[in-house]
Amino acid sequence: MSLGPRVADWLDERTGWRAIARSWVDHPAVGGGPWALAIGTAVASVLGVLALTGVVLMTAYAPSPQSAWASVHYVEFVQDRGWIIRGLHYWAAQALIMLAAIHVLHGAFVASYGHKREIQWWLTLLVLALSLGAGITGGLLPWDQRGWWARVVEGNIVGLAPVVGGFLQEMMSGGPELGALGLSRIYTLHVALLPILFAVAVVGRRLLAGRGATGGAAASSRQAAQALLVFAAVVAVLFALTGKAHGARLEGPADPMSDYPARPEWFLLFLYELRKFFHGAGEFWGTTMVPGAAAAYLVLLPWIDRPSRPRALALTPVVAIFGGAVGLTVVTLRHDAHDKQYQKMRAKADAQDALAIRVAGQGIPPAGGLAMLREAPELRGRAVFDAHCASCHVLADLGDPEKATATKLDGWSTAEWIQKMIHDPDAPEFFGRGPFKGQMPSVDVRPKDQPPDEPWSPMTKSDAEKHAVAAFLASEGSEPGDPPPQGDASQRALGQKIVSERCTTCHLYKGEGDDEGSDKAPELSKYASLAWTRSQIANPASPTTYRSKALDAALKKHMPRFDGDLSAADIDLVARWTRATARGIPVR
Amino acid sequence: MTESSKTGRRRAVKSLAVLGGALGCGALAVPTARFVIEPARGSAGAGRWIKTLRLDALREGEPKRIALIADRRDAWTLERDVELGAAWLVRRGSGVVAWSTTCPHLGCAVDRSATGAGFNCPCHDSSFDANGKRLNGPSPRDLDELDTRVEGGVVLVDFRRFRQGVPEKEPVG
Repeated sequence: MSLGPRVADWLDERTGWRAIARSWVDHPAVGGGPWALAIGTAVASVLGVLALTGVVLMTAYAPSPQSAWASVHYVEFVQDRGWIIRGLHYWAAQALIMLAAIHVLHGAFVASYGHKREIQWWLTLLVLALSLGAGITGGLLPWDQRGWWARVVEGNIVGLAPVVGGFLQEMMSGGPELGALGLSRIYTLHVALLPILFAVAVVGRRLLAGRGATGGAAASSRQAAQALLVFAAVVAVLFALTGKAHGARLEGPADPMSDYPARPEWFLLFLYELRKFFHGAGEFWGTTMVPGAAAAYLVLLPWIDRPSRPRALALTPVVAIFGGAVGLTVVTLRHDAHDKQYQKMRAKADAQDALAIRVAGQGIPPAGGLAMLREAPELRGRAVFDAHCASCHVLADLGDPEKATATKLDGWSTAEWIQKMIHDPDAPEFFGRGPFKGQMPSVDVRPKDQPPDEPWSPMTKSDAEKHAVAAFLASEGSEPGDPPPQGDASQRALGQKIVSERCTTCHLYKGEGDDEGSDKAPELSKYASLAWTRSQIANPASPTTYRSKALDAALKKHMPRFDGDLSAADIDLVARWTRATARGIPVR
Repeated sequence: MTESSKTGRRRAVKSLAVLGGALGCGALAVPTARFVIEPARGSAGAGRWIKTLRLDALREGEPKRIALIADRRDAWTLERDVELGAAWLVRRGSGVVAWSTTCPHLGCAVDRSATGAGFNCPCHDSSFDANGKRLNGPSPRDLDELDTRVEGGVVLVDFRRFRQGVPEKEPVG
């Protein structure tokens, strides 16, 4: 006898493994025939994939508010083919919920809860409940916007439960707010408690499979072959889904301060929609009692569906429960698809996500994804502009061009922009809508209110002079690392000469000028440099920018100073973002 | 030894074993339950005055969203000067009215409504008028007003959290 069978025999004598294995493969397919077997095998296959990929993911995932998002970003975007493992895990989790629901529905139709098989039916229900629990807990682990906000809303729904609601919510969140302890708890549930219960449910179902059986056993070799085919098909589908989505979606890091349009996971959308039918004190009914009653009905189905009664009577509520859940989900998806406000906020969130993912590609600080967002000019600068500047200014997609009362900043301080601006300062995109309207004369257009008999000469005698002024002023704001300034040195020298000789009637250049002492026209040296921009945002009435009259009450709706509202760091970040975005160069 | 004394002793040993088992389980259960429950219990809502912006930076009647910045302790971490929350601030003459941006319903961030007059929650469409009063939607109460005071021209806000989804304004954490 060769070594293999001898070792097998040796083991069998000591463990009886052959009989155990046979009992697992040969268990009789009862109460539903081949379909029940296929669904059960698919559930088991998906669970296997989840266990394998889950353990593998644990080798990279780090559960803490600082490291969770960063480590998932690493798995998804940095680690070699990490996205395949994460994608398989994610799609298997979604598939599990679908399959577990189908399993329950199918089981109800074929009455797999027949006499003495109630516990098997409950284990099927338990698998569905655990799938939902694993989906909810797993959704939070990336600590991204979607998962975090979904959990906040779900946690507050739990908090609605009478008496124990507040306690349960605190236990799940690890405190009054979802924080570090909450994540550790959810993680423990996801990787330890729920898998143990899954194992109990699956093993229990298998051990009890023969009990209460009325049908005969199917041929074992055929069963095993079918099971392997189902397994192969499940794996193929999961790979296809993973490939199509290139892993699984990761949104930006959880930001409790953002105005994120929160929605629950897709499998809880029906609850979200159901909740809309109930208001005030009734809300608890919508979120807890109605689904609770549906669950109770399924649990008690073995006693409700009796051979003495027509089956249609017992099954109609089952169809209503599942049909209702699908229907409510469709209603919510359609509602959101047609909700312009939601779509607008969703698009904003998507843009933020894409930026966060891109910035994270350069490396995430140890303080985590959110700290990265707070320190990245590309994101934080944009957010500060949106919150504090976009009510008057327009830049890129921010601000409302109809309501703007200050300069449109697209192209601001580029040679093309300056050229147009000094030609027609009162155009609506420049000073035309703001307090400086009528304050600055055109360099080459005779003022309308100038009496025809008075002498007037343009400040720039030719287009060449105007272009020289524009090229020079644009170069004043250049920072190291910017693209090289336009025009040649002689052109800029001409521009500098014109600026220092003619513009200084009102403007300052290097602290000199403003013969009439109007104290209103800005300093032009280093115009639109980073330092100039920071100074202007912090306090427009600074001698290095718009000077003391900039905050004069007579200038209605003038630009306010922000050095009280914004930290120096935020002013720097918004200055960097504004300057670079206006010039169309990368934000640094 | 008689049969009855044997049975009696067996019974005593059995009771002792059950008692010992129960004590053992209890000895494990109490500290483990404590370990899980205690850190999550929040103390009842102590407020904290947070410095925001200068009063003259607020325009009369026009709501402004302000981040409330202070230190945050979360289990083992202490973060300096982070955003704890946000508030809508509206100037009313020499005073300021503040509302938490947290929707009293389920905790999403309340934004200004599209028409600009009041506030609106993007999650479940609760809406509030310019005075924070509930107009429609599922929110069980008005926006949560926060106490404010002005000191040396600077607006201070008493930042608190309140339990969501209940009609009463009940401080937490």
